Amino acid sequence: MKDLYLVYKNLTRKKLRLFLTSFAIFIAFLIFGAVTALQGALNAGVEMSADNRLVVMNKINFTQPLPYAYVNKVGNVDGVDKVTHANWFGGYYQEPAQQVITLAVDSAHYFDVYSELAVDPAALAQWQANQSGALIGERLANLYGWKVGDRIPIASNIFSHGDGGHTWNLTIDGIFSGRESQTDTGYLVFHYQYFNETHTYGGDSVGWLILTTEDPSLNDAVAKAIDANFANSAAETETSTEKAFNKAFIEQIGNIGLIISSVVFTAFFIILVVVGNTMVLAIRERTGEIAVLKTLGFSSLRIFTMVLVESFLLAFVGGLLGLTAAYITVEVLSGVFANFLPNLVLDQDIVIQALGYMLLLGLVTGMIPAVRALRLNIVSGFSRD
Amino acid sequence: MRVLSQSLAVIVMNVRSLPSRLWMSLAMVIASAVVVAILLAFLAMAKGFEATLEGAGSEDVAFFLRAGSGAELNSNLSQEQVNILANAPGIVAEQGKPIVSAELYVIVDGVKKSSQTEANIPLRGLNANGIALRKGFELVDGRMFRPGTDELIVGQGVLNEFDGFELGQTVRFGQNAWKVVGVFSTGGNVFESELWADIKVLQSLYNRGSTYQSLRAKLAPDASLETIETFIANDPRLNQDVQTESSYFAEQGKNLQYMAIFGRVISAVMALGALAGALNTMYTSVAERAREIATLRAIGFSHVSAFVGTLVEALVLSTIGGILGCVAAFVLFDGLNVSTLGSSFTQVVFRFQLTPDLFLQGVIMALIIGFISGFFPAWRAARVPVVTAFQSGR
Repeated sequence: MKDLYLVYKNLTRKKLRLFLTSFAIFIAFLIFGAVTALQGALNAGVEMSADNRLVVMNKINFTQPLPYAYVNKVGNVDGVDKVTHANWFGGYYQEPAQQVITLAVDSAHYFDVYSELAVDPAALAQWQANQSGALIGERLANLYGWKVGDRIPIASNIFSHGDGGHTWNLTIDGIFSGRESQTDTGYLVFHYQYFNETHTYGGDSVGWLILTTEDPSLNDAVAKAIDANFANSAAETETSTEKAFNKAFIEQIGNIGLIISSVVFTAFFIILVVVGNTMVLAIRERTGEIAVLKTLGFSSLRIFTMVLVESFLLAFVGGLLGLTAAYITVEVLSGVFANFLPNLVLDQDIVIQALGYMLLLGLVTGMIPAVRALRLNIVSGFSRD
Repeated sequence: MRVLSQSLAVIVMNVRSLPSRLWMSLAMVIASAVVVAILLAFLAMAKGFEATLEGAGSEDVAFFLRAGSGAELNSNLSQEQVNILANAPGIVAEQGKPIVSAELYVIVDGVKKSSQTEANIPLRGLNANGIALRKGFELVDGRMFRPGTDELIVGQGVLNEFDGFELGQTVRFGQNAWKVVGVFSTGGNVFESELWADIKVLQSLYNRGSTYQSLRAKLAPDASLETIETFIANDPRLNQDVQTESSYFAEQGKNLQYMAIFGRVISAVMALGALAGALNTMYTSVAERAREIATLRAIGFSHVSAFVGTLVEALVLSTIGGILGCVAAFVLFDGLNVSTLGSSFTQVVFRFQLTPDLFLQGVIMALIIGFISGFFPAWRAARVPVVTAFQSGR
């Protein structure tokens, strides 16, 4: 207990220095937590993809449509379990800036293929029977405060409604949620058939197909079979696993993310080095005092422990505060950016990583002066002053 | 005069003794270098965005999209609408023909060199007017595509960032093969991230009939957008939004600007952390020399000289750091080509640019760091009573 009191006194003897050191560590970990969470959010789609799910796109690019007839043709390929399809609607609510991710989907099978989405069977049945109905994700429902039974106007920045205008009035029949917390539920689905009959631009084409294979080991064979089937046709396909597709999409955002995070991480480490340097020197200043402690009969090991505890405390006080601030920042930002980055969370992995770095910081900055104190010869300790 | 010569003496003494306080000095230099390097990295990125998007549009080109579509990808115009709009008031005509370019914009896949993954590239169909409307257009290699053929010209940015678009190559998008016959530059702006081909060929290969996605028109110097808006509002066959091309790109640039803002926030916060580190270093360094400073004052050196000596020491260290930071940023980032997803859902290639004014900002930043981290410790060094300084030992 007495030792802890001594450590406390040592830490607080120069309040300004304590503050500055903790503050620098605080900032370093704040940035570390926030940027790592951001990176995690960008990669979340990749980690959440199902193993046996494939996506079929137009080979030219995923913004080019595929003929509706492909749905059945793909369904007949060996090894395909279930197949469904979706169209990008370009939806927004009230004004273009309020994007509502809206997909026109095949109501019969969409929720079979996306088995991680949970929806009440009664609501699903009601939606399937209601041509102008929609199902919305939990997160989207919370965002706009929409409830079952609400009639909402969703406008499209791509399509025109056959009755004029760009707005479709949809009734919410149910709300779907994710079986896992990271599953994205920030979007709305409505009937492809209704969409196809009411929009004026082209028709009978689908945006992309999503299918599950009977077993993940069949993925490659199925993908090749599908692409071979449509080779040399007007709309050639490119089939890839959901994971590969999501990954490629993130790559589109590109090396800029990598550059930002590598700059930030370099800075993180350098700040720690600068701070560590002062921490080491601050303890070295006290060489004379350590010699006094030794004269008074403190064992070398005891002093060694005290010095280490001091630097660990310093590292963890600043670090944990920084991590807490990062957590709060991420929570706030995830509300603001719910539309772009649905998976912005500071999760366990980041906390563990950060704790590891705090431990390392405490160890490295404490070890040098602690070992010095351990070996210190009393006479030379006094003569240094 | 005495204050000056004393200060000078202290400065010389402090600066010459820097190497003996190697770790402290180094820590200060590094802290300052990091702040400057991060600041410059983000400024260079913002500069690149600016050159790419804000340099793209012209003030004297009217840009028409279907109302509410927001971006070319979502828009569409019929041949009839194009014909009507071409005769809108305020559009320049040459020999009776209005200077307009109706364009088509489709997205194709290219393989990014950096990651070897597929990414979206815009393939634009346009006519000779369209090319003439792009300021700064220049063929840097090869020749122009011939109308009516499956030839295309490739932007410098695409050539740099993507595989397989070298002059003379044949590229395939789905069933269609195109021959690369030229490389063009538009002075580093967003058009360099595109592929250009003949509009009629593109319409037929992509089954677009006679529809377009956007229309550009040369505005007469005295033309006003309001007149054109009224013209559109009065014709039931039209449903277009009109704006100048430059305001369209300024809007498109907003997405990328968010990234630059994000960078600024991060670098500001990081700078605070590094500043705390630098301040701490200076305090510790001054505290170590408390007795030395007290001695100087005891033998007749003034407050001012003790103050100035410490402050200049901090400024020298932070300036060295700042210069190192500038050099590091220049070596690592200048001319770095990167591409990212722009708001039209396609890759925008841009280049980090470190211009002299940015270096100036970097050095100013370094001086600010030096001033803040030197001022307070110097103040303390000059103010502590000599007796106290001796008593406290260090």
